[in-house]
Amino acid sequence: MSGLLLKEFLLVWRGRARIAAALTFAAATLLMFSFSAGADGRLLQRLAPGFLWLAIVLASTLTLQASFDAETQDGALDGLVLRASPGAIFYAKALTNWVFLAALACVLLPLIAALFDASLGTLPRVLAVLVLGTAALSAPGTLYATLAGRSRAASLLLPLLYFPLIIPALVGAVKATELAFFGDPMNQWSGWVGLLGAFSMVFWALCGALSSAILEDG
Amino acid sequence: MTRERVAAGFGVLGLILLGWGSYLGLFVAPPDRYMGDVQRIMYVHVPFAWLALVVFTLAFVYAVLFLVRRSWRWDALHEASLELGVLYTFLLCVQGALWGKPTWGVYWAWDPRLTTVAVMLLSFAGILSLRHFLDDPIRRASWSATATILAAANVPIVYYSVRWWNSLHQLQSSPETVSSSMVEPLRLNAFGLLALTVALLMVRSWIAADRRAAAMAPPLPAQGA
Amino acid sequence: MSGMIQGGWEFVWASYGITGAVMLIYMASLWVRRSDKDSSE
Repeated sequence: MSGLLLKEFLLVWRGRARIAAALTFAAATLLMFSFSAGADGRLLQRLAPGFLWLAIVLASTLTLQASFDAETQDGALDGLVLRASPGAIFYAKALTNWVFLAALACVLLPLIAALFDASLGTLPRVLAVLVLGTAALSAPGTLYATLAGRSRAASLLLPLLYFPLIIPALVGAVKATELAFFGDPMNQWSGWVGLLGAFSMVFWALCGALSSAILEDG
Repeated sequence: MTRERVAAGFGVLGLILLGWGSYLGLFVAPPDRYMGDVQRIMYVHVPFAWLALVVFTLAFVYAVLFLVRRSWRWDALHEASLELGVLYTFLLCVQGALWGKPTWGVYWAWDPRLTTVAVMLLSFAGILSLRHFLDDPIRRASWSATATILAAANVPIVYYSVRWWNSLHQLQSSPETVSSSMVEPLRLNAFGLLALTVALLMVRSWIAADRRAAAMAPPLPAQGA
Repeated sequence: MSGMIQGGWEFVWASYGITGAVMLIYMASLWVRRSDKDSSE
């Protein structure tokens, strides 16, 4: 497993141009959001958590593919399945994707503060949401990216499959971020974080269990 | 008793019950105390809501059965239930919007039930798209089964996560809380739609099975019965 | 009765009508798809 993890890190590192592109894409998205919302500073402040997570979700469609760039040519993935279990392959990819997505989210944070004049509130709470929220996105995202990596047709459909699925994670992440930015008088933050945790647990387990259906067939 | 006869029987039974139930609902049942005649939409909306959930639950079951048992029959039924489910959910949204406009003043609201329905519609329509774009039957079957399992697992999560926000939707009404003159058309339509659904599922799964068989095998010269 | 919504029959007819029409079209499409298969045997 550690061998797999190392390989995954190296793959994504080699695909770091894609990660850089994803970062630029996220930043551009944030810019567009801020322009389309208009000049009202107060409104922008309130919208900041939502825009942050939308940018992360959109950018994830790029970063999730990063681990597949090298392997989908020449059918390297098929060879890998002979040597390691699909579950191990999946979890290695998902963990790697999580790390890089969380890193991307953290890099976006100062940008959000600047663009939307958002005070970042309690930073530990914000970071916790970034880490947990990106975890929630990574499991289903990795599984669907595996689909996309193995079939050109499926890559067209990645957003169509991925976006509806992660809606509860989006809801929880945005609410928790909002409460962390602006204050939490009624102590609801942990509830939303709990939702993120539950979502993550369900889908990390389910996606791992289903990974053989994707990696072994077809 | 050929399977065509069985399906036709269910279909005819369903249509009769639906016709009768709708007649009662439209012309015989009394108007609601608050919603007046607009409430009659309930007699078509509620059965479709129940059946949409039933059909998507079946889709989940067929998906699991396919991955576990690997029989083509489950894949055919999976495809049929996906298509029927998306159809019913789409109609549900249209009926709901037409009911919501005169009663709540809006065509749509982001409360738990409506949001869950919207997510269901998008998720399962996406899976139908996925099936459409995959040519290899084995891959199509296992990948869409995987997607259905994920989408189905998501449904309760979506519902409960949105429930933390305000809800405009009515409280769940069980037949006991609805006056008896309203229960009858509701029950008739519900059973009618159920019977019709059985027929449609059967026929649609045969179409799916034939398409898949044609894709996988060379054409046979002459066929017996 | 105070507070009862008056009228609204156009919404009722639209609901039943659209539902019925769409269902009938779908059933017809199944019929066509099925007979296509039969005739190509």
